Amino acid sequence: MQLIKPLYWILVATCLAVTPLHAAENARDDDTEAQHSAPDIKGPHGGLLLTREDTSVELQIFEQGVPPEYRAWVTKDGKPVTDAAELNVELSRLGGQVDTFQFAFQGDYWLGDGVVTEPHSFDVEVTLTQAGEQYHWQWASHEGRTRIPADIAAKAGIQTTQAGPGSIERTLTTYGRLTTAPEQIARVRARFPGVITKVNVRLGDRVAKGDLLAQVESNESLKTYDLRSPIDGVVTQRQISVGETAGEQPLFAITDLATLWAELRVFPGQRSEVEVGQKVLLKAEGVDQQAVISHLLPSPDNAPYTLARVKVENPNGVLSPGLLLEGDIVVETIDVPLAVENRALQSFRDWSVVFIQVDNTYEIRPLELGRSDGTLTEVLGGLQAGDRYVVDNSYLIKADIEKSGASHDH
Amino acid sequence: MINAILRLSVERRFLMLSLILVLIGVGLWSFQRLPIDAVPDITNVQVQINTEAPGYSPLEAEQRITFPVETALYGLPDLSYTRSISRYGLSQVTVVFEEGTDIYSARNLIDERLSSIKNALPPGLEPEMGPIATGLGEILMYTVEAMPGATQADGSPLDATALREIQDWIIKPQLAQVPGVIELNTIGGYDKQYHVTPSPQQLLEFGVTMKDLMEAMRANNANRGAGYIERNGQQLLVRSPGQLASIAEIEEVVVANRHGAPVKVSDVAEVAIGKELRTGAATRDGKETVMGTAMMLVGENSRSVAQAVAEKLDAIKPSLPDGVKVEAVYDRTTLVDKAIATVEKNLLEGALLVIVVLFLLLGNLRAALITAAVIPLSMLATITGMVQTGVSANLMSLGALDFGLIVDGAVIIVENCIRRLSQAQHNGQLPLRERLQLVYEATNEVIRPSLFGVAIITVVYLPIFSLTGVEGKMFHPMAATVVMALLSAMVLSLTVVPAAVAVFLRGKISEKESPVISGAKSLYKPALLVAMKFRWLVLGGATALVVVCLWLATTLGSEFIPQLDEGDIALHALRIPGTGLEQSIEMQAQLEERLKAFPEVDKVFAKIGTPEVATDPMPPSVADNFVILKPRDQWPDPDKTKDELVAEMAEAVERLPGNKYEFTQPIEMRFNELISGVRADLGIKVFGDDLDQLLESANEVLDVVESMEGSADARVEQVTGLPMLSVHPKRMVLSRYGLNVEDVQALVATGIGGENAGLIYEGDRRFELVVRLPEGTRRDIDSLAFLPIPLPDGEYVPLSEVADLELAPAPNQISRENGKRRVVVTANVRDRDLGGFVEEAQARISENVDLPAGYWLDYGGTFEQLESASQRLAIVVPVTLAIILALLVMAFGSLKDALIIFTGVPLALTGGVLSLWLRDMPLSISAGVGFIALSGVAVLNGLVMIAFIRDLCHEQGDLMKAIVDGALIRLRPVMMTALVASLGFVPMALNTGTGAEVQRPLATVVIGGIISSTLLTLFVLPVLYALLHRKKAEA
Repeated sequence: MQLIKPLYWILVATCLAVTPLHAAENARDDDTEAQHSAPDIKGPHGGLLLTREDTSVELQIFEQGVPPEYRAWVTKDGKPVTDAAELNVELSRLGGQVDTFQFAFQGDYWLGDGVVTEPHSFDVEVTLTQAGEQYHWQWASHEGRTRIPADIAAKAGIQTTQAGPGSIERTLTTYGRLTTAPEQIARVRARFPGVITKVNVRLGDRVAKGDLLAQVESNESLKTYDLRSPIDGVVTQRQISVGETAGEQPLFAITDLATLWAELRVFPGQRSEVEVGQKVLLKAEGVDQQAVISHLLPSPDNAPYTLARVKVENPNGVLSPGLLLEGDIVVETIDVPLAVENRALQSFRDWSVVFIQVDNTYEIRPLELGRSDGTLTEVLGGLQAGDRYVVDNSYLIKADIEKSGASHDH
Repeated sequence: MINAILRLSVERRFLMLSLILVLIGVGLWSFQRLPIDAVPDITNVQVQINTEAPGYSPLEAEQRITFPVETALYGLPDLSYTRSISRYGLSQVTVVFEEGTDIYSARNLIDERLSSIKNALPPGLEPEMGPIATGLGEILMYTVEAMPGATQADGSPLDATALREIQDWIIKPQLAQVPGVIELNTIGGYDKQYHVTPSPQQLLEFGVTMKDLMEAMRANNANRGAGYIERNGQQLLVRSPGQLASIAEIEEVVVANRHGAPVKVSDVAEVAIGKELRTGAATRDGKETVMGTAMMLVGENSRSVAQAVAEKLDAIKPSLPDGVKVEAVYDRTTLVDKAIATVEKNLLEGALLVIVVLFLLLGNLRAALITAAVIPLSMLATITGMVQTGVSANLMSLGALDFGLIVDGAVIIVENCIRRLSQAQHNGQLPLRERLQLVYEATNEVIRPSLFGVAIITVVYLPIFSLTGVEGKMFHPMAATVVMALLSAMVLSLTVVPAAVAVFLRGKISEKESPVISGAKSLYKPALLVAMKFRWLVLGGATALVVVCLWLATTLGSEFIPQLDEGDIALHALRIPGTGLEQSIEMQAQLEERLKAFPEVDKVFAKIGTPEVATDPMPPSVADNFVILKPRDQWPDPDKTKDELVAEMAEAVERLPGNKYEFTQPIEMRFNELISGVRADLGIKVFGDDLDQLLESANEVLDVVESMEGSADARVEQVTGLPMLSVHPKRMVLSRYGLNVEDVQALVATGIGGENAGLIYEGDRRFELVVRLPEGTRRDIDSLAFLPIPLPDGEYVPLSEVADLELAPAPNQISRENGKRRVVVTANVRDRDLGGFVEEAQARISENVDLPAGYWLDYGGTFEQLESASQRLAIVVPVTLAIILALLVMAFGSLKDALIIFTGVPLALTGGVLSLWLRDMPLSISAGVGFIALSGVAVLNGLVMIAFIRDLCHEQGDLMKAIVDGALIRLRPVMMTALVASLGFVPMALNTGTGAEVQRPLATVVIGGIISSTLLTLFVLPVLYALLHRKKAEA
């Protein structure tokens, strides 16, 4: 089935491109009006047979195993013409683009120079110059195209915008808890064992570096010495009271909460995209700040994820260690020359397409897409900068094209 | 025996007349019980088995539900076939039984089978049988709307959820009480639900999982009874109430305990009234609404049930909250009333015309009244018969009744009695005994021909009884009614008519040769003599006429089944598969706005997707639109035909982007949904297992069919194209985290689809308590990849780590027939004979399409019905003709005379064909019924005429004199029967109201045919008789 599906579409596309042929006038009868009735005669190679008097051209879009290309067979009086003829095909696409193909004989058939790009929707003009005579055919071959009058489009809320450059910011969502760094917790001990003579701070007090925490009378020297806070922070632990003996155990813990660290978990599938220095948007209740990944380190206990450490400012002290944060890591910020809005994208057959608008006509543009974020997607090919494409209610255009496509003959 | 009955009728004339009272009594009583509807019911005997499976994709629904259900039904008695569809959230198996199966016993059998497979189905899923209703069941639809600015008791606006609550808990329970209503189906609005929407981050924060949340909810939402205790002689009941009753109470439920602190629901989730994931919506005049449909029990009287529902709806109105408007938007009564009015008008006008004609031609009011009395009496008898045989009164069954035709027998009898009586009275008043004897003789003289005539007309209807399927259901009632009316009229003319003649036609019988008749006679005699002279010319002319008309008949277009105009328009709006409900509603708003802009349109409303009871399981991309038109006199141009209006509408809505349309009518649409067979000329069903292979083979078949000459609209049933987001668990990675596939699936299912965590009761009303992710998170496919999945050790892992997310089209619907998957390729055939096309298709497909083992084809479609119908008719029609001939031979004991009379048939048909051609009407089954009635009348006329001539010939011995005299004597009855029969049909032929489509061709054929047949009876038959019997006379 994997194989059959593309084959099927190739078949469909070939038929679409060559089916609705219209007979046109010969260059010699310039004064006769162009005819647009469709000659639906198939030639021996399955292409479209254009005949004028004793000369005929069979034209085919061939796309089995190769990018779509034009092949042609020219006959005169039933005999194949292999040289001394000039064949060219002009494809006028919606929006004014014209693709011209010059044909050269390739042993079995005449081959057009170039790839017939999708969509195969255009007005075709074939000119054959042979033995001093010029023959001329033209017809319309449209697919993925629809017309919607402006008033109805407006009522239906169809809105377009111009394709242009954009900035794509791709993010990964991760979660992690807030912790304090080891350097931000100071456990203050008594340098020499002794009796506490004075305690200056209570649990929860905010202290600055050098603030007096307590005084201890040394057992050995019987001198009273000061215990001072080594860092700015909050007294988070106090283990002693006046009169107790200070031994080996920590007496105070001073924790610096002005900066905390978020340890975001980056799972293996995400790891390759995350680097130190990337911007992170941190979110939690009451938190909405930007930060930068400072370190990446493997998780403890051999857990399968990596920790991305992000410094979090906490000037007001509202955040506390243990809080869970959502961190959207901006893994990529790029300015792309051409981007489309995501809501404009629709699926069509097995393509991603947008619909361009030229006056009241809308047509698919199969896109080659690049990177994408929540709102914009980079376009690598298939669309020109400056094209107007449908943004709002693009689904309506898809519905309208496919509705008539449901009974599409091929 | 006939003699005995006749004698009895004349002797016991008063007894006979008093029997009329009995007939009237029984007739009126039957009339009360006669099911009345607009159109005949063409639904087959079927039972729908619906299983709602929330969240199931088409594939799962088929595998887990449809298959076991279908398997359980194998071998049911009288089973015709089963078909099924499996869609998102729904499995529907339709079981079709053979015609005539009792629906109740069939349902019992199914119920028994279903209960035996309960264990084979996924827990919590319950197959249910659809309502016991037919295509005529949707008798009344109403919308529940909020007036502008209306608010609920708490000040919030009356939204779709509130309206739905009103419909479900106030309106529906009351309407369901109305006798004859089997089901009230709701579509639109939102079923009120209490939603608990946890934020993934908060859950992680507190180390709580969705499962914990659900368990907490389930464990904290019940009342418990605890028996009773006796205390001081008093009995005390004990109970412990614990049900959650409000949002605030739900928020207070404790989910977990973290370091001694309770984690409440409100800590991790929001609780609010939310919207269900609905499968259908309703709109009216461009805005969303809530719509109810009352469905009628099969066999009820749709008019009275619809009326009762409408009355009840009015009675409910005061009990509704302020600001709520309930309005019936579709009421079957309107259509039925119109249909009845049409039939009434036609019958009444026809009957009046008949009386006038009788009076003018008989010149005797009493005689005219006696004859006319047969009309209501036979009508009552027919109604009794209809009730007994279960035929409902509708446009079709009553449409073909022509009282002119029915009184023919009585006309002949009364006419002859009057003639004989007035002849006998030349010698003064007759004594009673003689008069009775005369009546007896006069009746006896013509009773046989008219009995044979009626018998022949009855036989002529035989081919109609041989029709099967939809055609049969449409036309059987018609034939049955006509036959019943004819038979009852025959019995009446055998009993009541002679009795009434004997009783009422006494004293001086004033049979003045009415001027009409004497004038006609003075014209007829010379004309007949001329015709006798140029007999070859007359015969040649007649033959030429027949040939020309035969040719003409082939140039007339043909249509199989007439379209009954229901007065309103219905249209399917089709969008591409995969279109979402909200998108459909938006597109619907534009469509309805455009339709409403037509000055002829009164209301536009639509049902999108599947209603609560899946009587019509449509995907959200399809909408059934109903366009109710204003009465014609309010149209800017009251003469505009409906076809013109439909064409204008089609053109206008064609301009709206994204929709495709099929125009139809409300009842017709419902029939199509229920019958739901292949509606194209040719349907090729590909059966097999693998969906991809099926589609591939179907496309191969399509290629072959498309390349064939004459094929049109060839297409493969659309089975794929439903966009689907698949979450494929990665087994290896899962094992690394100690997860099972089920853990991932459960989280996705609960998060996106929501899971029921109990019920919240508000008095009688009960609402689901659902846990699911907040709307913003649910809708955002990109962020779904980061959805944290809790691990057994309290940690988490993002979804994208353990599963692949893939967006790809998937089967839209899986159709099965007779227990096997199938894909249908359909095609219509243009400018080519259907049989040849089908044969070529079969040959070419078997040559070009290579089906793998286990796959096979089945050919079906309308061609099948046409084929079987023409095969049956090929047997039945000759047999019918043979029976008629046999009857004629029995009547005359002479094949020659029988054949002479038989020539009347083609001659009569010429007039029918000509009149159709003049009015530019196609040949249809309706017209066919007209031709059938016509041949009966033609034979009857000829029968009476030839019988008389023959008797005269036997008496007088002079062939020519006998022919002329006989023809002259029979001029009056022939003219009378012809005039009453054709005039009786005049109102129908000119009818433009409801039901005209059926009646006009029929009446046109009969009127035209009777004119030609009368002329031919009067001229060609005597000529033919003379020609064929001359030799005998000369010999």
